Amino acid sequence: MNDLSQASAHAFQLLLSGNNDIWEIISLSFGVSFSAILIATPLALVIAFFLAFFSFPLRRALISLFNTFMSVPAVIIGLTLYLLLSRSGPLGDLRLLFTDKAMVIGQILLSFPLLVAMAHASFQAADRRAWETAITLGASPARAFFTLMYEVRFGLIAAVVAGFGRVVAEIGCSMMVGGNILHATRNIPTAIALETSKGEFAQGIALGMVLLVLSLSLNAGVSIFQGKGELQT
Amino acid sequence: MSSLISFKAITVSLSGKSILNIDQLDVLAHQCTLLTGRNGSGKTTLFKIMAGLLKPNSAEIHYQGLEMTWKQAKPYIQKDIIYLHQQPYLFDASVADNIAYGLHRLGENKASAHKKVMQALDWADLSHLAHRPAKQLSGGEKQRVALTRARILSPRLLLLDEPTASMDTDAKQQTSLLLQRLKSEGVSIIISSHETHTVDHIADRHLLLERGRIETLERPTHSNKVTVLNTSKYST
Ligand SMILES: Nc1ncnc2c1ncn2[C@@H]1O[C@H](COP(=O)(O)OP(=O)(O)O)[C@@H](O)[C@H]1O
Ligand SMILES: [Mg+2]
Repeated sequence: MNDLSQASAHAFQLLLSGNNDIWEIISLSFGVSFSAILIATPLALVIAFFLAFFSFPLRRALISLFNTFMSVPAVIIGLTLYLLLSRSGPLGDLRLLFTDKAMVIGQILLSFPLLVAMAHASFQAADRRAWETAITLGASPARAFFTLMYEVRFGLIAAVVAGFGRVVAEIGCSMMVGGNILHATRNIPTAIALETSKGEFAQGIALGMVLLVLSLSLNAGVSIFQGKGELQT
Repeated sequence: MSSLISFKAITVSLSGKSILNIDQLDVLAHQCTLLTGRNGSGKTTLFKIMAGLLKPNSAEIHYQGLEMTWKQAKPYIQKDIIYLHQQPYLFDASVADNIAYGLHRLGENKASAHKKVMQALDWADLSHLAHRPAKQLSGGEKQRVALTRARILSPRLLLLDEPTASMDTDAKQQTSLLLQRLKSEGVSIIISSHETHTVDHIADRHLLLERGRIETLERPTHSNKVTVLNTSKYST
C-alpha cells in the first residue's frame, strides 16, 4: 500500500516535472491516433452517407459488414496487418512494420467500421427533407452533403470522438505492428504494459492517469454530443 | 396561354404497385394551378418528380424547346423548379441565413446577397425574425420563410405541397397573401391540397389526381365544383 501511494506521488511528479520520456510517449499516442482518425474520417463519412441515403445492391450487406467489423478485436487486426507487412508478407517491401506509420494504418482499420456505423446512424436519423431542400434550392450534391453533415454535426462529432477514444486506448494492434520501441513507436497503452511488467509502477500509473482522464472525457464528450443531436430534431 | 413545361408519360411504380400513370401534364406560364387529390393519391410523388428530386420509372419532358428524358432534364428542372415540403425544412441557422442559402449558387458577393436577403425579408414581413434561429419558428412562420427562400432564387415554377394543411386561420391568411404576391410577380405555381377552400381564389385552373391519373376540372369558381370537392371524400 505504501509502495502504491509512493508510486502515485512519483507519478504526479513525473507528469508535472515534464519528464521527457513520458511526454514523448503521450505525444506519440496523440499523434498516431489523430492521424488515423483524420485519415479515416472523410471516407467513412462519405460511405456512411451513401449507405444511409441511396439504395444500391449489397447496401444491407455492407451495413452489416461494417457492424460486424466493429467487433473484430484489435489483436486480430494487428495480427493480420503484421502478416501483411512482415518481410515475407505481400506488403513487406514497404518496410512499414514496427513504424508509427504501421500503427496509424492499424488504427485506421480499427476505427473505420466504428466511424462508418456511428455516422451511418446519424445520417439515417437525419431528416430526408434536409437533403431535398438543399438540392431544390440549387445546391450541388457536394454542397448538399456538407449542409447535411452540418445538420447532423453533433452525431458526427460523437462518432469521431468515439473513434478516437477507441484507438487511443487500444493496445493489441499497436503492440503487434508498432513493437513498442522507445522514441519510435511506444504509445501510452504499450508503455503502461511494459513499465508495469518491469515493476516501474510510477510511470505506468502516470500514463494510466492520463489515459483514464482522456477516456472519461472522451466518453463524456460522446454523450454530450449525442444528447445535443437529439435536441435538434 | 403559353406552356412553361410539359411532362409526358410519367409512370411510377413503387414496390410493384403503380402509383402514377400520367399521359400529359402541361404547366402554364404565370398561372396558378390547384392540384387536388386524396391522401396517398400521389401528389407528393408527382411534385418530387417534377422538381428533379425523385426518379420516375419513365417520363418525357418538353422544356425550352427541347424534348428530354427525365434524366436529361434533371439539371434544368432542379434549377428552375423549387419544391416546398408540406412541412418545410429550415436549416439549423438563422432565418436570414436560411433565406440566403440558395444565393450561394448565383455567386453573389456578400454585400449584394445581404441586400437581397433584407429585401426578401421585408417582402414577406419577416424582418423582425431575421436573426431568430429558424428551428424555433412556428409552422406558419416556417412556411413563409421557405416561400421567401424560394422566391429569392426567381424560380420559374413553385411546387407547394399542401402549404396550409396544418395551419391556423391567421397563418393560412398570411401564407395565401404571399402566394398572391408571388403569382402577381409572374411565378407559375402549383399548389397541392386534399381540400380546396383555402387557396382556390388564386387558382386559375384545377387538376384532380385520381388513381394515378390527372383530370382537368373547371376553373374553381367557388361554385359547384369546389363544393363537390369539399365533400367528405376529400377532407380529413
Ligand atoms: N417510398 C415508398 N415506397 C412505397 N410506396 C410509397 C413510397 N412513398 C409513397 N408511397 C406510396 O405512394 C402513394 C402516393 O404517395 P404520395 O405521393 O405521398 O401521396 P400524397 O402526397 O397525394 O398523399 C401512396 O400510396 C404511398 O403509400
Ligand atoms: Mg403528400
